[in-house]
Amino acid sequence: MAERTHNADAKSVFRQETLTVNGIKTVVLTGGRGDPLVFFHGGGVFHGFDFAAPWTERFTVYIPFHPGFGDSGDDPEIVDMHDYVLHNLELFDQLKLERGVRLVGFSLGGWMAAELAMEHRRRLHKLVLVAPAGLRDKEHPGADIFRIPPEQMPSYLVHDMQVIARHLPKEPDPDFLAARYREMTTIARIAWEHPFSHRLPRWLHRISVPTLLVWGEQDRLLPYQQAQTWAKLIPGAKVQTFRDAGHLVLDERADAVKAVGDFLA
Amino acid sequence: MSVIDDLKFYFFHFMPYVYLPPAYEDHQKYPSMWVDFSNRFYDPIKGNQLYRRYLSEMVMADKLGYDGVVVNEHHNTPYSMMASCTLIAAAIVPQTERVKICAYGVPINLEFPNRLAEEYAILDVMSGGRLEVAVPLGTGMEYWANPINPATARERMREALEIMIQAWTADGPTTYTGKFFNYRYLNPWPRPLQKPHPKVYMVGVGSPETIDMAAEMGFGYSIVFIPVKAQLQVFAAFREKAAKHGHHLKSDDTPIGVFAYVAESDQQAEREYKEHLAFFFNDLIRTTPRYLAPPGYISTEQFKVRAASGHDKLHGAFDWDESIKHMRIVAGTPERVANEIGRWAEEAQSSKIICHLHMGNMPEWKTVKNLTLFAEEVIPRLRSKRPAMSLTAANGHELQPGAK
Repeated sequence: MAERTHNADAKSVFRQETLTVNGIKTVVLTGGRGDPLVFFHGGGVFHGFDFAAPWTERFTVYIPFHPGFGDSGDDPEIVDMHDYVLHNLELFDQLKLERGVRLVGFSLGGWMAAELAMEHRRRLHKLVLVAPAGLRDKEHPGADIFRIPPEQMPSYLVHDMQVIARHLPKEPDPDFLAARYREMTTIARIAWEHPFSHRLPRWLHRISVPTLLVWGEQDRLLPYQQAQTWAKLIPGAKVQTFRDAGHLVLDERADAVKAVGDFLA
Repeated sequence: MSVIDDLKFYFFHFMPYVYLPPAYEDHQKYPSMWVDFSNRFYDPIKGNQLYRRYLSEMVMADKLGYDGVVVNEHHNTPYSMMASCTLIAAAIVPQTERVKICAYGVPINLEFPNRLAEEYAILDVMSGGRLEVAVPLGTGMEYWANPINPATARERMREALEIMIQAWTADGPTTYTGKFFNYRYLNPWPRPLQKPHPKVYMVGVGSPETIDMAAEMGFGYSIVFIPVKAQLQVFAAFREKAAKHGHHLKSDDTPIGVFAYVAESDQQAEREYKEHLAFFFNDLIRTTPRYLAPPGYISTEQFKVRAASGHDKLHGAFDWDESIKHMRIVAGTPERVANEIGRWAEEAQSSKIICHLHMGNMPEWKTVKNLTLFAEEVIPRLRSKRPAMSLTAANGHELQPGAK
């Protein structure tokens, strides 16, 4: 389903490429120059990628739309997160990203990045996980996104609603609702029965590249205390949290974006 | 032969729990009577009274000459106290003599398919071959209540159906290898009494995917809760698709549902009936668009059509005048009810009439009155339109050859 997901700012920095990965149309936004930085987006792409523009000054930035999101095609054969790891490995092959990848994953994409990193650490140079999903933290449980009514979802995403207001329709919009339904369908395929990965706590110790956890302290979806839980499982991982920021910490805090860039440089 | 020559009448009971808390009408406080409407409002003592009453009404239908009784299954809701379709059917079987027992039915994804094949076979054998089944995907609400992925529900249902039919028809042990199920020894005891197996329908609201599956697998198709005009279109598409697969449908392969209430006059019927129908549509089936369509339960394209058309309006906004335009609802004298049903049957080319004769919070006396008047005054009127058969029915004697 075609939906305009990137706005004027982002468009000016990113060009759109369409690839075919294992038979699935895969759209990648590319911009900037320098070492490769790949960003794995989260479970909703309606807020665009404006925040990523500063990274293009230091890196060649790749933002692939995962199957089932944005302009990429649907892949109903995807049954779990490991399918996304394999999809992205094949995408990396096509993009000739053999070594030295700076991988940044946000939310659902953070879970994806963590699974990729613990299986294929030698392809990576550094890893940043921004409010990653997928880890069951009994002390600091997150919200179940499937229990949140769509009309309440925006308030779960940001500390300051103004940050995403311009991306939300003023009135009920069937196209917008259908795009969100498609995203939730995509997430349901891998996470309805298993919203957490049993692999993460067992194998995160394999991540041997420098790793940074970034979190907004007002995150209502996944509490920022989870950062410490991740950090205990990933050897040497650093944590940086940001005040007055919700789940979309990169949209809300330019200094969080800068911190990611500095860490990866 | 006109479909009206062979009309069959099936009494469908939803068995609702009707003792709702005082504020149940507050749509803000209780936007949905499904999924999250707290079961602390369920009083088992009142539940016991209702089960006893409702089951006696099903048994009465057998004695009154209905052709079948219909039960189904829903979860997390006062809409239905039949959280297990096969349990309720099993309670009816030994109390009845001749009616078809229609389990319409267990959402197949909520059970292991071999186990469902077994349970249905038990019912068929116990009842002496009186079982009919219908296979629903289950409403969206069932997928919030049960730990099954709505995004893969249709694929899973397809496999489960194949397994159930294989379990009934092939001498075991057999094997089945699928994406969701792997059977090393598919060999259920008992097997159904009816050969090759009890009549099977699929149930739906007209989703193209379900119609395709029913047409391909040679099942009937039972449609619920969409406007009559859309139902007729769905039937036309279904008949065409079934023919393409070499299945020539009979008039009982496309049952229609009617909401009927019979009384001494049209005015009295409406007066006695309306509040219970309103309770049903406003309150018992009230739910939210989100519960109706969990992620992946319908395609994104279908979702968009629904979002644009306000498809979910039925659920909690009842209007009598509006409803009688779009649904098969009739309240009136036996004459009037018979005429309407006869017309609907002809129009839909359907000989199987699913009769919703208990509605919402109808008290026992109204249900019994309706059930009785319908059986004694409406059914004979419709049967009298087929002269030869009516004599048989009335006198119980074989007709002389050539009496037609």
